[in-house]
Amino acid sequence: MQNKDEDKELRKLQKLFLSGSCWQRLGTLLVIAVALFAVVAPMIWPDYAGQDLSRFLESPSIAEPLGRDQLGRSVIARLARASRISLGLSLCCVLTAALLGGVLGVVSSWRGGWIDTLLRSFSDAMLALPGLLVVLIFSAMTLGGFWTLYTGLAMAQWVEYYRLVRARSRLILSSPHVEAARLLGFGPLYIVRCHLWPELRPLLLTLMAFGLATAVLALSTLGYIGVGLQPPTPELGLMMTEAFPHYHEAPRLAVAPVALLALTLSGLILMQGKGVAR
Amino acid sequence: MIASSVITMGALSRRIAGQRLVQFVLVTLVVCSLCFLIVQQLPGDVAFRIAAGRYGYDYVTADAAEAVRRELGLDLPAWQQFVRWVGRTLSGDFGVSLVTGVGVATELGEHLRNTFELALSSLFLAMLVGLPVGVLSGLRPGGGLDRLTLAWTVAARALPAFMFGLLLILVFSVHLEWFPVAGNEEGGTLLLPTITLAAGLAGLMARIVRDNVIQVTASEYYRFALYKGLSPASVFFRHGLRNIGVTSITYAGMQLILLLEGVVVVESLFAWPGLGHALVHSVFWRDVPMIQGCALMMAWLFVGMNTVTDLACLAIDPRGRRE
Amino acid sequence: MNATVELQDLAVWHGTRMLVSPLDLRFSAGEAITILGESGSGKSLLAHAIMGTTASNLKASGVLRCEGRVYDLADPANRRQMWGREMAILPQEPAIALDPTMRTLPQVAEGLRITPLAGKADEHARERLGRLGLAGKEHHFPHTLSGGMAQRVAFAAATISGARFLIADEPTKGLDSIARDDLGELLREHVAQGNLLLTITHDIDLARQLGGRVLVMRDSEIVEQGSAEQVLNHPREAYTRSLLAAAPAAWDDIEHASPGELLIRARGLSKRFPPLTLFSDLHVDLHAGERVALLAPSGTGKTTLGNVLLGLLPADAGSIRYAPHLKHGSMQKLYQDPVTAFAPRLTLRRAFEDLCRRHRLDTGLVGPFLERLRLPAALLDRLPSQVSGGELQRLALIRALLLKPRVVFADEPTSRLDPVTQKDTFRCLVEELKAVGCALLLVTHDETLAAKTSHRTVRLECDLVAA
Repeated sequence: MQNKDEDKELRKLQKLFLSGSCWQRLGTLLVIAVALFAVVAPMIWPDYAGQDLSRFLESPSIAEPLGRDQLGRSVIARLARASRISLGLSLCCVLTAALLGGVLGVVSSWRGGWIDTLLRSFSDAMLALPGLLVVLIFSAMTLGGFWTLYTGLAMAQWVEYYRLVRARSRLILSSPHVEAARLLGFGPLYIVRCHLWPELRPLLLTLMAFGLATAVLALSTLGYIGVGLQPPTPELGLMMTEAFPHYHEAPRLAVAPVALLALTLSGLILMQGKGVAR
Repeated sequence: MIASSVITMGALSRRIAGQRLVQFVLVTLVVCSLCFLIVQQLPGDVAFRIAAGRYGYDYVTADAAEAVRRELGLDLPAWQQFVRWVGRTLSGDFGVSLVTGVGVATELGEHLRNTFELALSSLFLAMLVGLPVGVLSGLRPGGGLDRLTLAWTVAARALPAFMFGLLLILVFSVHLEWFPVAGNEEGGTLLLPTITLAAGLAGLMARIVRDNVIQVTASEYYRFALYKGLSPASVFFRHGLRNIGVTSITYAGMQLILLLEGVVVVESLFAWPGLGHALVHSVFWRDVPMIQGCALMMAWLFVGMNTVTDLACLAIDPRGRRE
Repeated sequence: MNATVELQDLAVWHGTRMLVSPLDLRFSAGEAITILGESGSGKSLLAHAIMGTTASNLKASGVLRCEGRVYDLADPANRRQMWGREMAILPQEPAIALDPTMRTLPQVAEGLRITPLAGKADEHARERLGRLGLAGKEHHFPHTLSGGMAQRVAFAAATISGARFLIADEPTKGLDSIARDDLGELLREHVAQGNLLLTITHDIDLARQLGGRVLVMRDSEIVEQGSAEQVLNHPREAYTRSLLAAAPAAWDDIEHASPGELLIRARGLSKRFPPLTLFSDLHVDLHAGERVALLAPSGTGKTTLGNVLLGLLPADAGSIRYAPHLKHGSMQKLYQDPVTAFAPRLTLRRAFEDLCRRHRLDTGLVGPFLERLRLPAALLDRLPSQVSGGELQRLALIRALLLKPRVVFADEPTSRLDPVTQKDTFRCLVEELKAVGCALLLVTHDETLAAKTSHRTVRLECDLVAA
């Protein structure tokens, strides 16, 4: 019986991937492409920090498809490393936020009472601070530090998961099928596993795709403004800032990170399909 | 269906005001705590660095660094510092900028005015373009305009504010030399930042309105009104507008977030001397009183704007705020 | 408008499939025409085809003749001019057919905007509402009205512009007996004034009340037609006979076994949802094997009372004593909409297996139940949303019975079902419970149903004591 269920689940997943609207398929392909690039490319072009001023703004060649930048560093190596950092850090933040927000949301809706009031007040307070502000404030602690950025981004995002999971859980927990399950003698673990989780899973997945885009964007924005990851760590936004003065001579320095960022974000957004306004 | 209890509008408004007040207090506490944490985190030599920033690296002395340390109250036990910190903020004393030496409150006033200018003009432009486009796309779903708005919304999210702004600068200021890039004079310089900020907002607005228009025009009550013999135009104005407004306003919170975050980015990009610009600079220089001042101001602004939308929501939708 | 409307060769197609077979209808002034049938027979499609509001993936064909004018039914737009002026349709679910952000009076008055009476619209609307017993509700919003009131508001709004041809599509859906009778009266009056009426329903009592001519529809075809008196009292077709036999009034009496020991004793129960008092100082007794009906108009707290008796909700005041062996699992509940009672993404087989595993029951117990209740075993592999209402309710019954309950609380278990299915499902319910000596607490708004099936009836009017 278990195998048959899993079979069905797998088939359903395949159907989703293969038969979704063609935009969604395009989006998924883009994301996979970028992810592959982030994983594989740093292995092919590992040296992202080595400077060689004699090779200032060298034009693209076969060994260096994007040439070198103003400090003689390999542009593609930097791009690869930057994308790995962006995606990796963003993924960690999103997973943390989803886990934290999701668990707290379920606890809040299940127990109600003072825990609910406490968590809700706290989340309401955090709501009054747009995510970017939170990350900005956190990044003041250690300018460009990985941990502060990670904490800041996770703190900025968990509230959304918490609120939506709580709202949906409340609805589900007060529905007839949960009441019936309780009457039939099922315990809390079963209810979470078979009644809550199947309903929450698609919600969480959509939020996470959205959140990933937001996190990647926030990192680049901060990098661009200059309060994100600090040089010499390669970062897409930072690369854009550094490329600006040399725009006339070597536009590829700016175009490359812009294109990569645009592709990543487009892919993530298209993956979600038609629902832009949740 | 049990007839819902009839709670008066007055009671609902009071409840909203109460909730927002609590949010106001809590967010103040959160920001203060965060800023306090920053101060605690500062390694010793950053006090030195701040002093250096004030007096210049060549003239700074250990005494000056010590003075900064005392100013920030770094010599007292932690909890005492926190109480002092919160107390000062709540009594209106935002302290003095560690970088410029000018009172934070004074500087904030000026920044606030500039941010308001930018935010309001962007909002206005966004509504001017986004609302009609959203309505028209919704009335003809799947049509040319509809597809355009979808593409626009996706593009607006994939090409975020700072890239779009960069693009605008490149095209209009560098290549075409129509507008000056940065600074703060009338007219010319407000235009590019406004367009940058409004573009993303308008896209989101159009999409939200479009989704709501589709939902409303397909609803039972809309069709019933048509069956009564009223013309499509009058049904739209009598039934459509209000319901679309109600559902669209509930998304106002999301748009306000976009606005505030966009303000930070656009101000930095165009060096527009508003709250966002000041915040970024103060983060860079670890000017903690300034960070706190800007963040508090923006958060309070946000709570205020949300309160206004909540009350507007209540005024239009007689069922009261839906969870 | 001259007194006749004629429909010729009216049919509705989905691609090449016929959802309504070609039929002819003739409407005369003062004569009500009622189409009787179950869901899926195509009767609603008929109403939409006449109005010109069929869904975009369906096609209507045929001809409508009215006042010498001829309309091709295939073109939905050609009758728009008649909307409100000559043709009106009463919505199925008035709760969602009224604009939630507009008060009652303007919604009723706006029908007059297309007539020369537009200037005095408000006065006329007020008068109309008064005549329908809704005086004082002019400034209410729709969500504060009960089902019956909302239907009357919709009636006023639809008919105020004086359209003579009224189409009522399942007008009594979800209404209790009193509201249903009121609406029936309104429709009769409309016809009596020399107008035309087409009613589409599965409610036989309504058909009886309206009189006129009755057509019985099944699977896209008209199987019988004639005067109401003839069709409803002396049906010729077997299907019509089974349809008529499905009404509770026609059910055979169920024998009542003598009740056993006392299971639940409730005294002085009160519950308020401010500002409403649902019930106060109520006494209810339930004995083993007994069937008790909780009767009240819609929305007055029958479900809440049941939940309180089951221990799912605390009462504000009063006491409930349970027999000592009434422990967990001994009290089960059946829900009005069975789809909501099952986890939406679990197959039924999985749900049953989990239940058996939880209570260490042999899964083989399920088989005999399925056979007795005439449910194919293949149903278990489906999701709850893929099973019909009647079958799903029977599966819910099996699920409850597996735990050998002593009390089953059935909250309007068959009100969403068609009459024939309703009769069937109810019979199963009663038989199975009788077989195991389980008590039944039934919530219903149908007096006849209550009388036919239960030992006793507890009547709930706010502030009244049990009968």
